[in-house]
Amino acid sequence: MLARHAESLFWAGRYLERAEDTARLLDATYHGSLQVAGDETRNPWAAVLDILHATDEFGDDDRQLDEVSVCEFLVLDRSNPASIASAIATARENFRTVREHLPTEMWEIVNRFHLDLGARNLSADLAGEPYVLYEMVKVRCQTLGGVAAQSMPRDESYSFLRLGWMIERALITCRLLNVNYPTLGYDHYDALLLTLRSASSLEAYRRSFQSSTNPTHVAAFLLQSPSFPRSVLFCLQRAEHSLGNIPSGSGARNRARRLLGRIRSELEYADVSELVSAGLCATLDNLEYEICEVADVVASQYFRVGDEFSLHSQFVLPGEALV
Amino acid sequence: MTPGFFDGYVVDDFFDEAFHDDGTPRAHYRHLVERFAQLGEDDLRHRRQLGEDVFTARGITFTVYGDEEGIERTWPMDLFPRIIPASEWAIIERGLAQRVTALNRFLDDIYVGEQAAINDGIVPRWLITSSTGFEREAVNIPVPNGARCLVAGIDLVRDRNGVYRVLEDNIRNPSGISYVLENRAAMMKILPAAFRAHRVRPVEHYGRALLRALRHAAPPAAGDSPTVAVLTPGVYNSAYFEHAFLARQMGVELVEGRDLVVDDHVVYMRTTSGLQRVDVLYRRIDDAYLDPVVFRSSSTLGVPGIMAALRAGTISVTNAVGNGVGDDKAVYAYVPALIKYYLGEEALLSNAETYLLWDPDQRKQVLDRLDELVVKPVAESGGYGIVIGPTATDEELAQVRRNIEDDPRNYIAQEVVSLSRLPSFTGDGVEGRHIDLRPFVLTGDRVEVIPGGLTRVAMRKGSLIVNSSQGGGSKDTWVLAPVGQPVDIDDHDDEPEDLRVEEMV
Repeated sequence: MLARHAESLFWAGRYLERAEDTARLLDATYHGSLQVAGDETRNPWAAVLDILHATDEFGDDDRQLDEVSVCEFLVLDRSNPASIASAIATARENFRTVREHLPTEMWEIVNRFHLDLGARNLSADLAGEPYVLYEMVKVRCQTLGGVAAQSMPRDESYSFLRLGWMIERALITCRLLNVNYPTLGYDHYDALLLTLRSASSLEAYRRSFQSSTNPTHVAAFLLQSPSFPRSVLFCLQRAEHSLGNIPSGSGARNRARRLLGRIRSELEYADVSELVSAGLCATLDNLEYEICEVADVVASQYFRVGDEFSLHSQFVLPGEALV
Repeated sequence: MTPGFFDGYVVDDFFDEAFHDDGTPRAHYRHLVERFAQLGEDDLRHRRQLGEDVFTARGITFTVYGDEEGIERTWPMDLFPRIIPASEWAIIERGLAQRVTALNRFLDDIYVGEQAAINDGIVPRWLITSSTGFEREAVNIPVPNGARCLVAGIDLVRDRNGVYRVLEDNIRNPSGISYVLENRAAMMKILPAAFRAHRVRPVEHYGRALLRALRHAAPPAAGDSPTVAVLTPGVYNSAYFEHAFLARQMGVELVEGRDLVVDDHVVYMRTTSGLQRVDVLYRRIDDAYLDPVVFRSSSTLGVPGIMAALRAGTISVTNAVGNGVGDDKAVYAYVPALIKYYLGEEALLSNAETYLLWDPDQRKQVLDRLDELVVKPVAESGGYGIVIGPTATDEELAQVRRNIEDDPRNYIAQEVVSLSRLPSFTGDGVEGRHIDLRPFVLTGDRVEVIPGGLTRVAMRKGSLIVNSSQGGGSKDTWVLAPVGQPVDIDDHDDEPEDLRVEEMV
C-alpha cells in the first residue's frame, strides 16, 4: 500500500486511542474528585496533563491549572492537536484520505462521530454532566475498534491501524503508571481506584489481586498482565503481531520488529519487584522512550520510502515548508 | 391526479421538461407526477430528510472556495428526478460520441499530426497558439490510441423549444460523475418503487468502464496488467470526494504528487514495500501543476520529472496534457466545423449561438447589445467569471466591456439560452427551476456514453447558474431503456475477469 496511506492509518489509530484514553482519564478523575481525596495537596488535573504529556502545551501563563481549563484544553480546544475534538477531526481527515482502504461503515461512524461532536455544545457538557460526553466518546471509539475488528480484512491497512492503536495504548498505560505510582499506598485507596479506573482495569485487577493495595501489584498488573488488554505487555504483543502481518514486517532483519521484540521480551521476563527496588519511574521513562523509538523506526522503514528520489523533499529550501 | 400538489405550479414562458404548456404532464413524466401527487406532505418531508441523512452520513460533500478557507458542504440533491426517454437519449448519445470523436481527432492532429485542420483553414493558427490551454510541452508526445479526451463531460442545455444544445465542452478534468452515482444510490433508497415503474438504465458500471478505458490507454511497455492510479491534489480540493470515490470504485490507489517519484524516466509510487511502477495515471490536477520542472515551478502538488517520463513513453497520463486548447470557448465555436472536417458529418448536436470577440464585426455587434448577452472568459470552468447581461449591474457591464476591449481573444459572448425548467422542491412547495445536463463520455476501445449524467439545477428562483460552486443543486437523471430491450445493456459486465484482461492486451 501507499506509504502515505499507511502513515494515515497508523496515526488514525493513535488519535482514536488518544481520544478514548483522554475521555476515560477525565471521567475517572471527575468521579474521583467527587469525594474527599486522601492527599488533598495533590492537584489531580495537573496529573492528568502530566499523564497525557500535555503540561508544556497547556502552558502556565494565562490559565489556572483547574478542572475547567484543563478539561476545556483536553476536550474542545482545537488549538491543542491532541484534544478530543482535534483528535477525532484528525482521525476523520486521515480516514478520509484512506477511504478506499476502509469499509464504508468505518468511515460513516467516524464521520458521524465528528459531526456529532461539532453539533454539541461541549462547554455546556463540561459544565453540566461531563460524564455523558465522556461515555459517548468512549463508546464511539470502542465501536470503531469493534467494527474494525469485525469488518476489516486482516491486511496491511488493518495492521497499520492496529499498530498505531496499540503503540498509543501502551504509551498511555506507561504514563499512567509513571505519574500515579508514587501516589499509591495503603493509606491512599482513592489513588489506587483512580489509577485502575483510568485504565478501565479495576475489575480485572481485583480478579487477579483481590483488593491488594500493594503498589508493586498494581505495577505488575498494568505492566505485565498477559490477559488484560490495556497492560503494556499485552499492547506490545499485539503491536508485534500487527507488525508481523505487514509484508516485510516479519523476519529477524526487520529493524522495527527486532526493536519491538526486544522491548517486549525484556518487559515480559522482568521481575517487577526488582524494577521497583531499582526505581520504577526511571524504568518507565526508559520504556516510554523505547516505545517512541519503535514508532520512529516504523516511520523511517515504512513511511519514508523513496525519499532519496523525491524532489519534493530534496529541493525544499531551509525554512520553506511544503504545502 | 390528486388536487393540491402541483396546483400552484406555473409553467411560464419556458420549456418545462415535465409539463406541456397547457399544464398537462408530458407522457414520460405522467407516472412520476401522479406518484408525487399521492405522497402526503409528511411522507415527502420524511423522504427528503432520508435523502439528506444519506448524504450527510456518507460524507458526500464538496468544497466551496470562499473568503475563508474552503467550506465543506453536503451535496444537495432535489427529490424530483429528471427523465430522458429512450428516443431522445439515442440522439444525445450519437451526438456526444460524434463530438468527442472529433475532439480527439482534432487534438491529435494539433499535437502529433500534421495540423491539417489549421493548414486547410478550418481553424486559424494564431487562435490555437494563443490559447492558454495549448501546451507546447505536449507537442509530439503521442497518446495511445489517440484517446486524449479519455473522460469528457459535455454540458448540454435545452432551449425554449426543447432543442438540446452544447453549452460547453469539458475535456480537461470534468468532475461530477461521483455525484451521478451517489444520487442514484440515494434515490434508490428514497423512492424505490418509482424505479420499478420506469425501466431506468443503470449507471453503476462507470468505475469498471473507466478502469477498462484507462487500461486500454496504457503504454505498450506496461505489459499485460498495467498499474493504474488516480492522482489528486489532496483532501482540500473541491472534488476530492470524487477522486477518492473513483479510486475506490476502480480498486486502484489514490495518490498525491508526494507519493510519486521519477527515477530514470520511470514513475513510481512510494509503498510500504518499496517503489512500485505506475503505468497509467488518471490525473485530476491541472496541467499547470502537473510537473514543476516544466510548468509552474512553485507547484508542490505535481510530480517533478513526469513530463520527461511521458515523453520517454513509460507512462500514460490522462486526460492528455494540453487538452485545454480543445475546450477553449473560442475554439468551441469551431467544433461543428471540425466535426464536418474530420468525420464528414453534420453535427448532431448544435452549439449555442456564439460570438467571437476577436472578430471586429462580431465584437461591435456584441458591445452594442451587451445587456442582452452572456459573456464568458474562454479558459475558465465552474461558472467563474461569467457575466449574464440581462441581470448584470451597470458597473459589471462597464467592467466586462473594458475587459473585452483590453483582450478580446479572452472572451466570447453567447445568446442567453432560456434553459428548460423542471419541478423542484423549494422551501415551501414545488416550483420550476432551470436545469442543465452534464453527460460523461469515455474513450476506450470505443466511445461510450454513460446513460444519464449530472443534472444540475439552479436553486434560486429565476437563476440560470447551475454550478454547485455557485449554490446549485442536482437531480438524479433517469435515462429510460427502449421498450423491448433489457434494462441492463452494459455488455461488458458479464464477462469473466480473466477474459476481460485477455481482451485488453
